[in-house]
Amino acid sequence: MEDTLQTIQSIPLEHYIWFSTALFIVGVIGVLTRRNAIIILMSVELMLNAVNLLLAAFSVHHGDPSGQVFVFFIMAVAAAEVAVGLAIIVMIYRNTGSVDIDIMNKLKW
Amino acid sequence: MTSLIIVSVLAVAVLYLGLFKYKTALLPVSVTGLLAAAAMAAMDWDLEKMYFSEMMLFDNYAVAFSILLILTTLLIFGLSRNYFEKISNNVAEYYALMLFALAGGVVMVSFHNLAMLFIGIEILSISLYVLAGIRRKDPASNEASLKYFLMGAFATGFLLFGTALIYGATGSFNLAAIASSGAFESALFRAGVLLMMVGLSFKVSVAPFHTWTPDVYEGSPGLIAMFMATVVKTAGFAAFLRLFLMAFAEASAFWAITVAILCILTLFAGNITAVFQDRFKRLLAWSSVSHAGYLLLAILAVGFSASSAVLVYTIAYSLASVAAFGIMILVSRARGNDHLDSFNGLARTNPFLAFTLTLAVCSLAGIPLTAGFFGKFYVFKVALAQGYTWLVVLAVINAMIGIYYYFKVIIAMYMKENANAVAIQLNPGFRLVLSIVVFLIFLFGIFPGLIANIL
Amino acid sequence: MTLWLIPALPYLGALILILAGSKLSKQMAGIIGCGSMGLSALWTGVTGIAFLSGGREPVRLQLWEWFDVAGWNPGVTLYFDSLSLVFTFVITFVGFLIHVYSTGYMARDEGFNRFFAYLNLFVGSMLMLVLADNLLLLYLGWEGVGLCSYLLIGFWYQDPANGAAARKAFIVTRIGDTAFAIGLFMLFQTLGTLNIGAILAEAGSALSGDGAASWPGGPAGATAIALLLVGGAVGKSAQIPLQTWLPDAMAGPTPVSALIHAATMVTAGVYLIARMHGIFELSPVSMQVVSLIGTITLLVAGCSALCQSDLKRVLAYSTISQIGYMFLALGLGAWSAAIFHFFTHAFFKALLFLGAGAIIESLHHEQNIFRMGGLRKELPVVFITFLIGSASLAALPLVTAGFFSKDQILWMAFAGEHGSLGLWIAASVGAFLTALYTFRMVFVTFWGETKTPVTHRPGKAMTIPLIILALFSLLAGFIEVPHNLGHITLFSSFLASVLPSPELITDSLLMEWMSQAAAALLTLGGIGLAYEYYVRNPQSLAGMKRNTGALQRFFHSGFGFDRLYDSLLIQPYTWLARVNRRDITDSLYTGLARFSIWLHRQSAQTQTGILRHYLLGAAIGALIILTISIFI
Repeated sequence: MEDTLQTIQSIPLEHYIWFSTALFIVGVIGVLTRRNAIIILMSVELMLNAVNLLLAAFSVHHGDPSGQVFVFFIMAVAAAEVAVGLAIIVMIYRNTGSVDIDIMNKLKW
Repeated sequence: MTSLIIVSVLAVAVLYLGLFKYKTALLPVSVTGLLAAAAMAAMDWDLEKMYFSEMMLFDNYAVAFSILLILTTLLIFGLSRNYFEKISNNVAEYYALMLFALAGGVVMVSFHNLAMLFIGIEILSISLYVLAGIRRKDPASNEASLKYFLMGAFATGFLLFGTALIYGATGSFNLAAIASSGAFESALFRAGVLLMMVGLSFKVSVAPFHTWTPDVYEGSPGLIAMFMATVVKTAGFAAFLRLFLMAFAEASAFWAITVAILCILTLFAGNITAVFQDRFKRLLAWSSVSHAGYLLLAILAVGFSASSAVLVYTIAYSLASVAAFGIMILVSRARGNDHLDSFNGLARTNPFLAFTLTLAVCSLAGIPLTAGFFGKFYVFKVALAQGYTWLVVLAVINAMIGIYYYFKVIIAMYMKENANAVAIQLNPGFRLVLSIVVFLIFLFGIFPGLIANIL
Repeated sequence: MTLWLIPALPYLGALILILAGSKLSKQMAGIIGCGSMGLSALWTGVTGIAFLSGGREPVRLQLWEWFDVAGWNPGVTLYFDSLSLVFTFVITFVGFLIHVYSTGYMARDEGFNRFFAYLNLFVGSMLMLVLADNLLLLYLGWEGVGLCSYLLIGFWYQDPANGAAARKAFIVTRIGDTAFAIGLFMLFQTLGTLNIGAILAEAGSALSGDGAASWPGGPAGATAIALLLVGGAVGKSAQIPLQTWLPDAMAGPTPVSALIHAATMVTAGVYLIARMHGIFELSPVSMQVVSLIGTITLLVAGCSALCQSDLKRVLAYSTISQIGYMFLALGLGAWSAAIFHFFTHAFFKALLFLGAGAIIESLHHEQNIFRMGGLRKELPVVFITFLIGSASLAALPLVTAGFFSKDQILWMAFAGEHGSLGLWIAASVGAFLTALYTFRMVFVTFWGETKTPVTHRPGKAMTIPLIILALFSLLAGFIEVPHNLGHITLFSSFLASVLPSPELITDSLLMEWMSQAAAALLTLGGIGLAYEYYVRNPQSLAGMKRNTGALQRFFHSGFGFDRLYDSLLIQPYTWLARVNRRDITDSLYTGLARFSIWLHRQSAQTQTGILRHYLLGAAIGALIILTISIFI
């Protein structure tokens, strides 16, 4: 256990930043390329988790707990957001029988 | 702070009233509560109180914008009588959700910590995702809700990533600590500022992040669109300016050019697309995009005159939007749609409505002797003081384009005839709110000093 | 301080009449219109008495500050001193009498309520003009007056000719207004303020220093500003070369003519120059221009008045000519003499127009003086008052107000520091012409045989204002009497705190007697000649008419200014418009419109309604923003 912690702390901060950025970009690309609303929602969660990871890393780096507290804020709010988001998707599924976002194009120009 | 508590408790109380089916009590309770909240906010004037270990700061900026948000909500509630009953059985939900959104707005204008900014934005946004889709059987409302939700969630990701980077660069979420950290040169900080700018630009519909605006406004119920155009936009800009004023002002040299580019893009995207728009609600949505462009001008000029300029502008814009959306609701309810042709002959059947709408669009276009003129005037003035002459020239060109599409509705009302138009019945709430709006637009157009010098 | 009530009352009356006009009875509208004016006049009286009995200190009343930007804070501020008092008194008092008269004159008109709304707005704007503390507010009143004159001249808009006359008045004065506006811009650029007090203080310090050289804009700047202000004044006051609108402005109802000529509008130019006298003193050239314009105008208009057959047009040309006298006085630096002439002129010109209105109304809207005649016995009250007004206009010596004010101008033209013999001769010839055309009008209208039967007689609402104005036309002159005849200087010493008095080159008593005697003889000669030709011996006139037909037509057309402008400006313009029917300049705009339609299509294309496109656009936007920041 001690060893693992030491190994983790020996990883330079830059690696966390690049990893989180990569994770974030994966999330963005997921949002852009998928048509299923639920998977888009999952990709958004991925973006938020990239942020959480980054915050935790910075928090340890600065020796300041407020970053980790912020992570809890994000988790709580993301839960609320997902609840509302799933409700919206369910509502749309009931009306159209689909969760494909490309059929939602009646409002335009 | 008391006002925030009142608004939040009021929202819960309204939910309970709905649970126990006290429908008639909803509006009086909400109105009384909001008046009390506005009064309590006014009591905080000049106190500059910090709350929750510097998470929130109720300075004059926060108080002024809180009062503006609360009073605008009050005006919207004044129009809501019999409106929600027509589209839903659970009227209490509307009031409660709008009050929750308002609470989020108050947090957004009084944050002193990036955590509170995030919380405020999310409280506001989540309420609005629901409000946009509240007509459950209506495909347009569904679509508006989904688009708003996914775009909003996407934007939140950017906002949070930016927040995290700024935390990494400065080691704090506190605005004062960020401002005094001196980390402005680091790449982390810069990327963080830009990502936060992207996230906030989504919320206030700045191009190229504005694309949701017209679709969502069109799909949402009229009163909710009005709420989005007034309260949400005001809160968003107040938060935008507060963040950049209190935390990033020192670093303005590097983000100013980006804001300037966004400003031009927004102005042209909003105005050019509005020019040939023939549905009034979409036209107002595009005009709301273009107004975001004018407001960005003020953000360029960080300083306290910028706060005054944004305050004057948002007051003028909110007043005019309440009137314009309100009359749009009446006309589209009476004539079946919000196409510009539906406004034909309104001057003959309803001279008061035609006059009010004329005044409102004149104010939106920035014609003198209306409040909107001074909104634009002060915004241009602060931008000129910072040396952005070329930007102001472009903005003035856009203001002229604006006159073209704003006046189309005046032409429809006064110069086109509609043989089988009948007079639209107004309920007392509408009459009262529209009269107040007309009075205030004139008042602030003639005595702009009343609002220009309070911040 | 309740100074604001003076302009506020007419504005309030106008507001009520505009908002509730269609619901009010004519009686109510009359009461509101006249009542608000009466109260305003009353309040002017009260304020004036307080001013006179107090220390005669100017009063500055800041109502509110409109906005405050970068040190420029145009306030809605009223300023009240002796010059404002004279104008305010004339405007409210004469305006009130005209309002009362109008209740009778317009009694059977359908647009009665609308008429009073415009009338009140007109007077309110004029009061704003003379009470303004800064030139921006003055300009607001100036434009308000222009707007109201347009509305009132075209009051009977059903007749296209009236609409054309209204447009002409508006467009011609607009030329002057543009010059005025440019003058204001230059003033603001030079001094950074439009506050009248500050400008005059600056001009005063320059004058007491080394003259125009110490003016911030240099002598050329001062002259340019002064000339641009003159441009504005020339437009509003109908002086050459912008006088052509005034005769056509007779298309409006007669009380409007009275208001335009006596109390409001045309005197605005005189007020402007008198108010800004400091700048003119810096620029001798502009003073000479003003006196030259005045002299030419008074002669040209006098000749034109001689050949008119329309009663109102005679009076219109006489106004142009009398304002010419005022301009002459202003150009001579005889500021108080100009204001004094304005003061007396307001009474007798209002009287003459109201009298003319009464005549025209009794003769069933007949305006041609040669179809009138013999009205002496038919309309005795109108006859006597009209005669008094005419005598005053012709400056009948010693008994009329017009004599004293005109005599002062003539004496200044002769003996003032800027005066010259040429100006004196021209002004004296003008005095002769004035007497001639005035009494030609009187004799033709009231003597001879009746040509058109009198259909109905004016009521009390119309005759009482006539009598009051007649009294003033006789008595108003005695507050300022030349020093060889009794030396009363109530008026000029009253104005001395605002307007400097000019120096005299000569104060020889003999010369002054000679000048007066010459003026008196010329006036009497003019009256006598008119009597000879139009009453005693009309045949000799007919003979002369045959020989001088071309000259008469030339005079009748107002020296052909209309035709000149028509061929110089309007014809080329319409020719250009005809040639350019395809409109080359417009293709620029249609091109712009096409371009924006195209741009609109493109931008609308981006609004596909498909969420993934929106998200992609936003992501690309974010990417671009981040990329840009790498390069700065």
